[in-house]
Amino acid sequence: MSKVLRINMSDLGHKWETLPKKYETLAGRAFTSAVIHNEVDPTCHPLREKNKFVIAPGLLAGTMAPSSGRLSVGGKSPLTGGIKEANAGGLTATRLGYLDLRGVIIEGAPPVETKDWYSIYIGKDTCEVKKTNDYAGMGLYELIGKIWKAYPSKPGIIGCGIAGQRLHKGAGVFGNNVENTDPGRYAGRGGLGAVLGSKRIIAIISDASSGSRPEAKDKDRFEKGRKAFKDALDNHALTGRLNNEKGEPYGALKNYGTNVLQNILNEAGALPTRGFRTGRFEDAAKISGEAVHDLVDKTRKKFGDKAEGKYGHACHPGCVIACSNVVPYEKTGKAHVSPLEYETAWALGTNLGIGVLHDVAEMNRICNDLGLDTIEAGNAIAMFMESGLIDFGDGSAAIELLKNGYHPESAKGALVCSGALTAGETLGVCRIPVVKGQALPAYDPRPIRGIGVTYATTTMGADHTAGYTIAAEIVGIKGKVTDPKAIDKAELSRTFQATTAYIDSTGYCLFIAFCVLDDDSGFNGMLDTVNGFLGKDIDIGEYGMAILKNERAFNKGAGFTAKDDRLPEFFHTEPLPPHNVVFEVSDEEIDAVFKDM
Amino acid sequence: MKIFAKLYATLRKFAPPDNELGEFFEVEFNGATISDLIEQLGFTPEQARIVFVNDSQTSDLSSTLTNRDRVVIFPPVGGG
Ligand code: SF4
Repeated sequence: MSKVLRINMSDLGHKWETLPKKYETLAGRAFTSAVIHNEVDPTCHPLREKNKFVIAPGLLAGTMAPSSGRLSVGGKSPLTGGIKEANAGGLTATRLGYLDLRGVIIEGAPPVETKDWYSIYIGKDTCEVKKTNDYAGMGLYELIGKIWKAYPSKPGIIGCGIAGQRLHKGAGVFGNNVENTDPGRYAGRGGLGAVLGSKRIIAIISDASSGSRPEAKDKDRFEKGRKAFKDALDNHALTGRLNNEKGEPYGALKNYGTNVLQNILNEAGALPTRGFRTGRFEDAAKISGEAVHDLVDKTRKKFGDKAEGKYGHACHPGCVIACSNVVPYEKTGKAHVSPLEYETAWALGTNLGIGVLHDVAEMNRICNDLGLDTIEAGNAIAMFMESGLIDFGDGSAAIELLKNGYHPESAKGALVCSGALTAGETLGVCRIPVVKGQALPAYDPRPIRGIGVTYATTTMGADHTAGYTIAAEIVGIKGKVTDPKAIDKAELSRTFQATTAYIDSTGYCLFIAFCVLDDDSGFNGMLDTVNGFLGKDIDIGEYGMAILKNERAFNKGAGFTAKDDRLPEFFHTEPLPPHNVVFEVSDEEIDAVFKDM
Repeated sequence: MKIFAKLYATLRKFAPPDNELGEFFEVEFNGATISDLIEQLGFTPEQARIVFVNDSQTSDLSSTLTNRDRVVIFPPVGGG
């Protein structure tokens, strides 16, 4: 029987609970959002004792299902003031799966005068809250090395860095990578790193050395589904294997990563450039997934075995899509940062007019070291550029600005760690790209309207992953593309948001969607794994909508109304070149997405 | 006629070796439609998932090209 671990940071105690019946089928985002909705006062201060930090592995985490080891973390977001679920790979989800833990709920907070910092160790039927003041105030690359030495069993590690410890709203939750060498697996969004910081927690260490692989209730169905699904993923041109029979690059994500999107959004004229001023960036190709692929090949040729660059890298054990990468230094072939994702390359590159791969990788590394969400940090730097304090395109100035984040006495550093809204308002900027306080990611909503409707209506604040309509509007499903400029997008966004909520709960990575939307055998295989694991059938749409209902109800309780489901004014008034269009979806259409909730 | 083509991701191997990533290369085109161009470049229509002609996305590979058209082709790509 699965368990729930509840830790109280007010008295540093913990207890093990049996999974309540009503949570039987809930995991990942379904679990975090249900607990937040049921247990957290929506009006509470997100950085005080009434908020909770909930950790939940996806349903299938730890099983042999392909690409199923994703982790959800949730809480009331200090960035948006609403509910938040952020999602990442790394080791923690599979470790918690092995420990048969459906969730860890961290509540309370040490008294305000506390100067101590804690870490939590979770093992098979053991939990310890330890004082770890020696983990505080250091960069996360150093911290990972330190924890690794103390726990050689390769545990999952998540936690917060300097930004979270200082309660900055741009702080993400870091996670260690599969090799346990690097803190780059981020559940980045919504400032949840600061929620951990408010509970005086730096690291949560999950050790599954004496756990065991979770088992499906209907093993045959699970196994049949797993095989069919894995074949479908392997053979799809997007999610598939590295090379074809001729040894040529085949699977797009394995070869180029998510940053394969850089060029396509550029060609589509929907790549937000220099603070959402144009839809094309002249240097997009230089920081694209193809450029990283070439750099990896080049450094491999030059440095042979010593080269550390990689593509086709898995973010968690058992991911067959393996879209992650390790960007090498061109001069030495040594690892610079891992991974460089599309959203990050956009936020710290294109969005700032910076087309130098090295500079983008360097800023990504600094964000990872400080414990910052790269999308929020990039948009905050863009506010400094908007205000004229530094110039668009000035990579060295942007790197220096970000480094201020290390210095507790630096107001600029505090600002760059506090998200786009706080930075923009403080600096007198009046075109701030946020919804519900969270900065927009890498798709301009003016020429691609469905994603704009998702940004506006999701409970999360501007978030592309919450309802990734790009799959229909740019990539196409079964060869059919939905016109990105059409304005009737409510149904499209709603369907994507519900389906995404389901996927975020299964442990599957969202990127399986490209394959399952195209290939029916993959879709049915995926369903068989989930239903076979639970030993009963669940309906994707209903399951997803139930999650969204909890989240909407929480946000309503926190004071959100229809007027919060809106894009910033400038998207309606400033046409985006080259297509010279504004966001034309009506408020009625937007409100139709969740008309019944 | 002359067509300017750009290929990305797994299709780049069908571009001339000296073609820079993100730059157009010139094709002396003997056909009429986008499919003809794809064939002339050496791959199949199934490999061409996302096509832009003069900045507009199109899924109709039978549409005809005219002199100096700019054609950008991607295989299935996605992520985010
Ligand atoms: S596809 Fe990429 S992001 Fe998704 S689980 Fe695999 S490596 Fe991680």
